[in-house]
Amino acid sequence: MKVLRISAALLLLLCAGVLFADVPVREEQFIYSILAFNGKDYAGTFARKDADTVYLVADVDNFLTVRNVFVYFWPITQDWKTDTSALNIPFEGTLELSGREAEAQMLGMIPYTYYNIRGEYELNWKVAKEAEAEAAWQHYQELMDAYWQSVSAYYEKRALYEKMLNELTVTITKLRDAGNDVTALIDTLKELKAPPEPQYPTEYIVPPVPIQKAFILNLPVGEYQIRFFTQDGKIMEGSERRIVVFEKRRAEAIGLEVIPGDKWTRPVESKTPSSVLYIDGSTDLYIRPFYQQEYNDLFYEKMRKNDAKGNPNLMKWVRIQQVPRARVEVTRQAAETRMVLEEPFYVEQAKGAALGYQIVPFDPEGKHKDREPSLQAFHIPVSKDQRVIRLRVQDKEGQYLPSSERQIRVITPSRIGIVSLILAACPLIAMIIVMVRRSRRYTS
Amino acid sequence: MNQRAHATSVLAKRRILETLISPGYYVAQTIGLVLAYLLVAGFVRAVDSSGFNYTLNPAYELIGRSLVGAFGATFVEKLFSEGPFLFTLYIAFLPVLLYLAVSSVFRFGLEKKVGALELLTYGPADGTSYFLAALIKDILMTAIYLVVLLLFLFIAGLLNNLILGPSFYYSLVILFFLSIAIYAYGIFASSLTDNSASAIAVFLGLILFFIIIMMGSFTVVSGYVRNLASVLAWIIKWISPLFYWDLALRFVEMGNWGMYFIGVALLLLLSVVVLFISHLTIKTRGVRA
Repeated sequence: MKVLRISAALLLLLCAGVLFADVPVREEQFIYSILAFNGKDYAGTFARKDADTVYLVADVDNFLTVRNVFVYFWPITQDWKTDTSALNIPFEGTLELSGREAEAQMLGMIPYTYYNIRGEYELNWKVAKEAEAEAAWQHYQELMDAYWQSVSAYYEKRALYEKMLNELTVTITKLRDAGNDVTALIDTLKELKAPPEPQYPTEYIVPPVPIQKAFILNLPVGEYQIRFFTQDGKIMEGSERRIVVFEKRRAEAIGLEVIPGDKWTRPVESKTPSSVLYIDGSTDLYIRPFYQQEYNDLFYEKMRKNDAKGNPNLMKWVRIQQVPRARVEVTRQAAETRMVLEEPFYVEQAKGAALGYQIVPFDPEGKHKDREPSLQAFHIPVSKDQRVIRLRVQDKEGQYLPSSERQIRVITPSRIGIVSLILAACPLIAMIIVMVRRSRRYTS
Repeated sequence: MNQRAHATSVLAKRRILETLISPGYYVAQTIGLVLAYLLVAGFVRAVDSSGFNYTLNPAYELIGRSLVGAFGATFVEKLFSEGPFLFTLYIAFLPVLLYLAVSSVFRFGLEKKVGALELLTYGPADGTSYFLAALIKDILMTAIYLVVLLLFLFIAGLLNNLILGPSFYYSLVILFFLSIAIYAYGIFASSLTDNSASAIAVFLGLILFFIIIMMGSFTVVSGYVRNLASVLAWIIKWISPLFYWDLALRFVEMGNWGMYFIGVALLLLLSVVVLFISHLTIKTRGVRA
């Protein structure tokens, strides 16, 4: 009985951990919802009650809305989150924007949409406001309506086709069983073609978002103050924020995305123009050059995520978009310079117990028929004998791109590494020689 | 003036000889070079098919995580983007810098306390020629060590197929001038105090203060702490050698060589100003403890 009681008490104690699990405390807060352009796309963040500054890139459209939501700290990812499923009250009103050198101006909420149209690689963002937004949204809706209509028509035609196919097959079977000639019917069956599937609209990479209203801030570099006025003209308590608008410091540099053959899901980036890529030479590399821009580390991180940390005294390179139709010049020791072009590749699962992946050239006519290539990249074969490989990127006109030179160096742990240690001990040897000579001098 | 120059030259030669025949300088050099060896060897072991990955080497993992925590991922990415040598240079230089600076400050304080300095000033030497001789010795010993370190790292690079990147060379040059300013502050601390212990305390306190202020504005912290550090840094930076070092490196990163050389010149100017204040202090307070 006593054992049973102790067991029950222990069980209760164990359950207590589950019953009183750490639930994040949610607090209703007035926040600024921010949709900021970060140089390559739009990303959302929010400025909670304690965030006194909002960071935005200069001379591009950024969207701000104000609302009351539940805010909580999520310890697993160490960041602040909003719970809009339980509370999401957007406010309508005006935003007062003031700067050191500009008079205060009142901004109203403007209907907008944004989208990315298909072009040369990824950077084709468009923002449409007011009537233009309406037209863009309408155009997209028409495109989608037309698509869905063609899908509907396709299914009707497909059903008809399948019905005909079925009927014809049954008739042929019956006639053949009865010993009749079915050649004509088989010819008809062969001529019967399935209706083509409609193509999904390819005009957009990111389609227009449904029209929303927001305060649109497109500001030159500087520091500003904002505060929100409700529709009855009163200042919303706790709505004062500082806006830091910053710009890129440099843009004239090329970065490289480097995909090792054995870790294609874990690419690395070589962004600093003077950087050297040290590798162990165990696998080939697949590279993709990209344009990059340099921003203040703190400002950029805070712009992407308002509660992020960053270093205010450092500048960081940010990938913007792939260099269109680039060429890579590869120079190896004791070998002629070679120009490498972008090629499609397919990632195959490696056979055998080793598992892993293997990157192979894409074969659209053969074993990769009806599939899409896994990646488009420049293949740089690497071997442990080629200790230095130099790369240089050209644009589509054949001009060398500035700061696009990189070195790949194959590192193999040196068998004569001990030489360095002996060299490190040289000052001690010198000291011993000096001491011995001095002691001899004074003893003789 | 000629007499002071002559006294400085004689004293400097004597100090250089004393440094070369005592074990301290060699031991400090060996510590620096062994540290450099360990850092380069660790870097080589932390390279795989996708490049340098500090998590592959336990020592580098500890260093990398600490640096990311304190200064952010961008800092670490930049620090190792050209290889291990930039980080190695600073770490390997520290033992010799500390040895030279602290030993000079200690000796200044000690000779002041026991009256040896006073005795010297009865002859042709004065307080200024005494500290100038110490400075010349420190500068020469620093230059020798930097050459030794450069040769050592160059050989380590050759053995492991690594290169000393451009940031390494900019840092090597500015480090030499930074050390002159630090030695000047050592002399200043010695001129203010009466014995070795207090001279070392003032010197280390000053340098630590500059480092903390510099790091405070550099560290990844948010809100109040960084703002306070930034305000303090703005006030203190004009007398901090670390500010001019940082300024020169920032400009050279952008390819602005003019501002890099201005940074170097400002470091030299700061050293001259600090030495002049030390000269005035010694003139006013005398060399007696």
